[in-house]
Amino acid sequence: MWLVLCDSSDASALWACQSLRLSGLQPVELCTSDSLALSDHWDHRIRDGRATICFRLPGGRMIEGDKLRGVLNRLYAVPIPHWRSASRSDQEYVQQELFAFHLSWLHGLSCPVINRPTPQGLCGRWRHESEWVWLAGKAGLPVATYRQSAHDRIAGAKGERRLVAPGMTVKTVIVVGDRAAGAPAPPPIMEACTRLARLAETDLLGIDLVDGAAGPWTFAGASPAPDLALGGTMLIRAIVCRFAAERAIA
Amino acid sequence: MVIEAAQRLGTRCILFNQRAFAAASMAFELSADHLSGWIEIEGMGYPLDAIHGVYTRLMDYRLLPELKNEPDNAELHDYCAALHDVLTHWCEVSPARVVNRVSPMATNSSKPYQAQLIQPYGFSVPETLITNDPDTVMEFRSRHGRIVYKSASGIRSIVQMFEDKDVERLPAIRSCPTQFQAYVEGEDVRVHVVNEEVFATRIASAAIDYRYARQQGMEPAQLTATDLPADLAEKCVRLTRGLGLAFAGIDLRIPCDGPVFCFEVNPCPGFSYFEANTGQPIALAVARYLTGQT
Repeated sequence: MWLVLCDSSDASALWACQSLRLSGLQPVELCTSDSLALSDHWDHRIRDGRATICFRLPGGRMIEGDKLRGVLNRLYAVPIPHWRSASRSDQEYVQQELFAFHLSWLHGLSCPVINRPTPQGLCGRWRHESEWVWLAGKAGLPVATYRQSAHDRIAGAKGERRLVAPGMTVKTVIVVGDRAAGAPAPPPIMEACTRLARLAETDLLGIDLVDGAAGPWTFAGASPAPDLALGGTMLIRAIVCRFAAERAIA
Repeated sequence: MVIEAAQRLGTRCILFNQRAFAAASMAFELSADHLSGWIEIEGMGYPLDAIHGVYTRLMDYRLLPELKNEPDNAELHDYCAALHDVLTHWCEVSPARVVNRVSPMATNSSKPYQAQLIQPYGFSVPETLITNDPDTVMEFRSRHGRIVYKSASGIRSIVQMFEDKDVERLPAIRSCPTQFQAYVEGEDVRVHVVNEEVFATRIASAAIDYRYARQQGMEPAQLTATDLPADLAEKCVRLTRGLGLAFAGIDLRIPCDGPVFCFEVNPCPGFSYFEANTGQPIALAVARYLTGQT
């Protein structure tokens, strides 16, 4: 079985799930964060250097980690609907406990997981813009000078970004392993994007580029959870190949 | 303690007191081959490239008394957040020695996750179960006899033995998967690793969680400096380095015979308690590392 983990409103992941089914992977099980929250049976163990996981989805379907062949992981967080009436401090405690739990069982899966969880993000590591610029420069992508001051007021919640001025058109390259899809960047840029994903230890990475201070393909940010539909069928093929390649290595 | 030790080594130190954040400022700029900037503290400016070592023990700025009566959207609140943001992110990319950077410290946010990272370094981890199913816990208990429970996240919790009296409230775990572990016998040893220096402290206590012995009406833990076998000390150094840390507090339990268990690697250890009780020069080792002397 192949598993797609995502939020129920993640249209991009739902598209990828359907596309993976159409590509020939069978069966592909869709598992939303809401259904994880409602599971009445979780059994995660660490024993003799090995981690195992077994859980039951609403409706009775059992998911056993050992039987999974690959996971497309787009999990941001797991909701806590049954804690809505609890105090704020209790809710914060439960959120942290659940994050710790989901990080552990996802990490322990022996099948290919795209992306593997990290403490900085369940679906891969989220980094600050400054870290991305630092890594992008090492990867050979054109980077503009990044500046940050205590006097800045960047409203991230409103979509403001240091690396993208309002009105700029963003082009996105999506890397999966050693393949790149999405915006038709020149080969040296595509290669640098692949190097960035490798440096970031992130299997699937969306890389934003703009016509900016360092040229027409200036680095403008990266995300472990990009809009997958931007990669089209080429991206789906890359995911299928990555699953197969990782299994072959294992 | 670290500042005093660094000054004894003849190193100039500057202190950023979070509570004085309003009188501080900072900025940096970064490109493919360049990082520069400055920090200003109480009217004095310092170039960032003159800072060679950073020791951080920042508390959650949202809990600072100076913000207590400020609404979340107040300018002072925004400034405090922005200042901590720039400081934290400069530390992540700075070539200075930083004890410790935020990103490698994050493994401690999930004990079972960190346990999986610890095992390849040659330590055992008590058999662990995380479940929301009371029947599964009872089966686990019947197999192991004595089991403990504790938080799975980095939130500090008191490790408790699971007793008969706990059975009736076990259904409460249905709302949140909870971590249980087989209880293992042995002597508690806290190991502080600073780069390649190792300070081991034996802990004698009747409490399940020695940190809370006094609160539980028991004698406070007795701390004694001890030496580890060379291979175990080397494993601790490799584990610390492998997790990307320069300084760590490793909690071991060493049975009379058999494998050594590692419960946790603390990336921001409260070493002063151990230094005060044993005289082990941990702060000096941190200062030596920060000043490039080790």
